[in-house]
Amino acid sequence: MPVNEAVNVSVTPPASDVMIQVENLSKNFGRVQALKNISFEVLRGEILGFLGPNGAGKTTTMRILTGYFPPTTGKVWIDEGDFHRDAKRIKHKIGYLPEHVPLYRDMQVEELLRFVADLRSVPRKNIKAEIEEKLKICGLTEVRSRIIGNLSKGFRQRVGLAQALIGDPKVLVLDEPTSGLDPRQIIEIRKLIRELARNRTVILSTHILSEVSMICDRVIILNGGKVVASGTTQELEDELSRHHEIFVSIGDHHRKMEAFELLKALPGVEYVKEGSEHEGQVDFTLSTFKDADLRPIISRLFVEHDIPLLEIRSGRLSLEEIYIKIVSQEPT
Amino acid sequence: MKNAWVLARKDSAAYFNSWTGIVMLTLFALVAGIFFLFPLVTYTKMSLQASPEAYAGLKGFSPSRFVFGSFFLNFGNVMICVVPFLSMRALAEERSLQTLELLFTYPLSDFDIVWGKFLGMIRFFFFLTLPTLSYLFLFHWIGAEMDWGVIAAGYLGFFLLGTSYLALGLFISSISANQMISAMITFTLLLGFWVLEWVSSVTDGAWAHFFSALSPFGHYRDFTLGILDRSDISYFVFFNLYFLFLTLRSIEVRNWKG
Ligand SMILES: Nc1ncnc2c1ncn2[C@@H]1O[C@H](COP(=O)(O)OP(=O)(O)O)[C@@H](O)[C@H]1O
Ligand SMILES: [Mg+2]
Repeated sequence: MPVNEAVNVSVTPPASDVMIQVENLSKNFGRVQALKNISFEVLRGEILGFLGPNGAGKTTTMRILTGYFPPTTGKVWIDEGDFHRDAKRIKHKIGYLPEHVPLYRDMQVEELLRFVADLRSVPRKNIKAEIEEKLKICGLTEVRSRIIGNLSKGFRQRVGLAQALIGDPKVLVLDEPTSGLDPRQIIEIRKLIRELARNRTVILSTHILSEVSMICDRVIILNGGKVVASGTTQELEDELSRHHEIFVSIGDHHRKMEAFELLKALPGVEYVKEGSEHEGQVDFTLSTFKDADLRPIISRLFVEHDIPLLEIRSGRLSLEEIYIKIVSQEPT
Repeated sequence: MKNAWVLARKDSAAYFNSWTGIVMLTLFALVAGIFFLFPLVTYTKMSLQASPEAYAGLKGFSPSRFVFGSFFLNFGNVMICVVPFLSMRALAEERSLQTLELLFTYPLSDFDIVWGKFLGMIRFFFFLTLPTLSYLFLFHWIGAEMDWGVIAAGYLGFFLLGTSYLALGLFISSISANQMISAMITFTLLLGFWVLEWVSSVTDGAWAHFFSALSPFGHYRDFTLGILDRSDISYFVFFNLYFLFLTLRSIEVRNWKG
């Protein structure tokens, strides 16, 4: 496998509570650098969410983790085994649901599951029970002998999940498992994923933030092929809400420039955004660092300069706003 | 290796479940029947006209070679049309359905995938050919003398020719995103090989020798005459291995192209 010696990767397996360890992973497609030296680990039993806009590198990372292709440089450990040294054995430990749920359209549901069970070396005598169990878990019992191509998108998604579950892999990798589903199906699939995660390690990707806080224990935010943030949703919120916002509203639009300059000159202010202007009223939004509450200073300042202050309040950035902020920054 | 067989079974079952497969089975049996009956009828006419003593004197005349030889010789050409429809599904379909992505993440090596795809086509090809065994009974029934050597050589040649074409088709299927394109390119290439045989008959000297050595048909003809030649067998074995190797290489391209 093309592992660049210059990249620093370990030769001994990670600690036993780590299910997946990814070290200094890079992936190039010709001149395109899809992944730039990313590292992370996933603990046993965890649900990890990959969050990021289109083109962030989520699918590429998942394709490496599932053995579709090797990384250009870097290393993947799964269940204490070196992936690309022992790919065939390790592939038994991973179930994968690709992004657009590719399935053999002219096969029956049960026929497909049998095919996968054979490939995953489920012992002959267990195959029947195995298929029965997965059909039940995924709510497919009533469509078991239907042709996959004739099923609805929601059912096809379930078939995709069922095939990933055959052989009880320890790790499930789900690429945008709820995309393209209607709201009711999304709720059902999320519930199913949470159930499946009870005794498995799950990695799922999404570009919907709320999904991550709903399903995942931990989040990795990818952008431009790099990890830009990671942690539990709570940690992310805490860490990133050092970006505090203050809304200021003044009643005299002739004093707009003056107020703007005053606000900008305050210590601890990151930037000032000028919002709407209506009926002589002007709104500003300030971004400040968390530990300095500037509200008293601002009101005193405006009184001193005789600028009519109509409203002043502080707002915490929602996770959504933080996310948008992170991914709209050019990754350096 | 076991997994290659699992894949092969899935693929050949898919042919039986598809209209293309059913149409192929029907047409193949029909066309094969016609190609067999022609020489058979000619032979029975000959044997009715001439007394047995008359052509017993024709040294080296073998009814098996006459009937089965011409059957295999002509029917080899039919494979040019059959193979593209068989091989187009192999990898091009999986690519357009994107199931190839999943296949690569199942516990299969690249070699398992290529070998499984190849075996899957051969398995269906075997079922296509199966009805022709009934010709043996027909031939025996009209009281003709069976020359097992000639018949076995004919089948061996037909098998080698078929698998060679399938290996070429598999490679083309591995580089095309679309089944129709895969079929068209395969057909064109097979036709090209057939034309080589013509070219060799209108050129002479070293060139004629060169083209005829390159053409699968020149090598195939020996088998239909009941001749087992080491260079003919080597040619087909090499042909198979060469295109299987190219297929393996072409599916490895995803490792750096995605
Ligand atoms: N086969 C490929 N060839 C060239 N570039 C690719 C290929 N696959 C992905 N990329 C590029 O790599 C980046 C990451 O893509 P991807 O992993 O699919 O992102 P995501 O799944 O987060 O949307 C994108 O810029 C994409 O254009
Ligand atoms: Mg993607």
